[in-house]
Amino acid sequence: MTILISAQSRIMVQGITGRRGRFHALQMLKTGSQIVGGTSPGKGGEWCFEGRLPVFDTVSDCKQSTNADVSVVFVPPHATADAILEAIEAGIKTIISITGSIALQDMMVVKSILKNSDSILVGPNSPGVLLPGIANAGIFPNDIALQGNVGVVSRSGTLCYEVLDTLKQNGIGVSAAVGIGDDQIIGIDFQTCLELFESDPHTDQVVLIGGPGGDSELKAARFIMEHGTKPVIAFVAGDNLAPSIVKPFFSHSGSLSLASLGKKTFALKEAGARVANNLNDIPVLLTS
Amino acid sequence: MRLQEYQAKSILKSAGIPLPASTLATNAVQVKRIAAEIGYPVVLKAQTLESGRGSAGGVRIVHNERGIENVSNEIFKLLINRRPVHFILVEKALTFMDEFYLAIISDLENSTPILRISEAGGATFLESASFEDALVVDRAIDINAGLRDYQIREAIAKMGIDPLLWKQFQLIAHKAYDVYRQYDATLVELNSLVLTEQNQVFVVDARMSIDSQSLFRQDSFTDAFDPTYFGWEERQALKYYVDYHIFPGDVGCIVNGMGLAYLTLDQLLSLNTIPAAMIDIRGGATSTSIASSLEMLLLNPRVKVVLINIFGGMTRCDEAADGFLQALSSGLPRKPIFIRLEGTNGDTGLDLLQKSENLSFFGTTEALVNATAGWLKGEEL
Repeated sequence: MTILISAQSRIMVQGITGRRGRFHALQMLKTGSQIVGGTSPGKGGEWCFEGRLPVFDTVSDCKQSTNADVSVVFVPPHATADAILEAIEAGIKTIISITGSIALQDMMVVKSILKNSDSILVGPNSPGVLLPGIANAGIFPNDIALQGNVGVVSRSGTLCYEVLDTLKQNGIGVSAAVGIGDDQIIGIDFQTCLELFESDPHTDQVVLIGGPGGDSELKAARFIMEHGTKPVIAFVAGDNLAPSIVKPFFSHSGSLSLASLGKKTFALKEAGARVANNLNDIPVLLTS
Repeated sequence: MRLQEYQAKSILKSAGIPLPASTLATNAVQVKRIAAEIGYPVVLKAQTLESGRGSAGGVRIVHNERGIENVSNEIFKLLINRRPVHFILVEKALTFMDEFYLAIISDLENSTPILRISEAGGATFLESASFEDALVVDRAIDINAGLRDYQIREAIAKMGIDPLLWKQFQLIAHKAYDVYRQYDATLVELNSLVLTEQNQVFVVDARMSIDSQSLFRQDSFTDAFDPTYFGWEERQALKYYVDYHIFPGDVGCIVNGMGLAYLTLDQLLSLNTIPAAMIDIRGGATSTSIASSLEMLLLNPRVKVVLINIFGGMTRCDEAADGFLQALSSGLPRKPIFIRLEGTNGDTGLDLLQKSENLSFFGTTEALVNATAGWLKGEEL
């Protein structure tokens, strides 16, 4: 089972002594993921969790000693771009940024360098990647999903939890859940995840959870139309809002966006995806 | 975050971009004095972030001092999209022969800045229809390489601009890009760029937006906004890094994450229930920002009932509960609170809240929204 991570993944945590990093590193350890260590500049040589995990000053030190190939980033927003660049240069294969709200120009710098590297970036503002029962690289709540054959990809973290919870209540298992992140500039997109699920023998069907803003869902629709062979169930949050009610009241400073209202559901339906109008439709569509 | 025109112009001017003389005024007497200093004709421009300034009568040309105070007072009395006008920018009016558009915009899909030059001066970036028939050249800029001379040259050559003017255009484009980088702008729009009879290129109107996620290093902008423009809640929200959205209804909502915000909104609206506010505390909020969010809703007279929908991943439910308890013990008005706490440390969070009054607990978004809408309907009967 390999979608971005696997049972063999050697996962490190950037920002492992911080409040968030420490807490979630422990959660990941509890789910049985192979966490091998972490970084915290200035605290190299220390140990976390009663000697279970070594702390290093730099990603390259950590990689050299632990052979880490996945890094989960928990450092504060102003230091995140730097942390991602450090991980790219150290040759970490999969970099997952849990931290979100990264300055746009910082992300432009990251993406330009990422293009010429062998690293894959998930996020920022991602809940991580979860292979239920196998590995958890991120902040997915423990025991949120059963093992199975449905691939889940989502822009929003909390909405992904909602869907995983709904699937679990209905006894439906999941091969992998990927949160691509809710920031305006992110690494891998829906399309790349659909490609991964297409070629994954453990995934039979895919649930795609979209939202307003950007055009990643439209690219996904094009991919489904041209290359999709596995059934896709799509749920686009906010796509059914009545613009007449909400539009005048959306704050000019906020992150909510109504520009794409209705278009995404339409495009996904046209492409052959089955569209869920609410959460409870998803298990029904998956089993029918 | 859009800056007011006068703020944008003051930044551009200090960067060395040629702009006509202008000064900000807060009353009609000042307007008249400034106009005399600058020399007529002048343009009086209402300072607002709302669209439709021109059609609302917020931009007026005045040719001499007769009547300038009346015109100023008319502008100060305007409400543009319900927002009052507190400042007028008094600017030297230029006569010009030709108009262009030059902007550095952000292409979020391809993660690059873009240099856009067009002959469609006067149109705005947002009014894409205005660009349809006009010649527009977009050049993607590799942010790690910076804006290159040849990129500007190619664009202005295509525009058919006289080579004698290229130096001026290149200088302005470079300076606009420098401002974009230095101030973490998402948009630097010089619109329009005009050519005077003396073959001088000037920027007569400009817009700038700053990336709100860059405020950790652009802290001069945290308080740079017209204090009358943001309400108390919006300023609180800015301070505590939460997203605050105002709606016309009566349910005060707190959620974590935009996806959950949309889901909650979808379900509320399907039951004909409209929020008064939607606060997204985002991932990993602290108990202080959570307490402040609930306080805002308890203080808001339009909020009859509070709906809290938390599915914790990064957000820890025990910390959220701690924040709610802080707000509930601060002696603010009591309101019924419908709450759902799920995810990371959910049980600990629920245990902490068990003893509080006015709280009703739910297991799913659907049950939570149904109960809230049902309670409001009962209230109306």
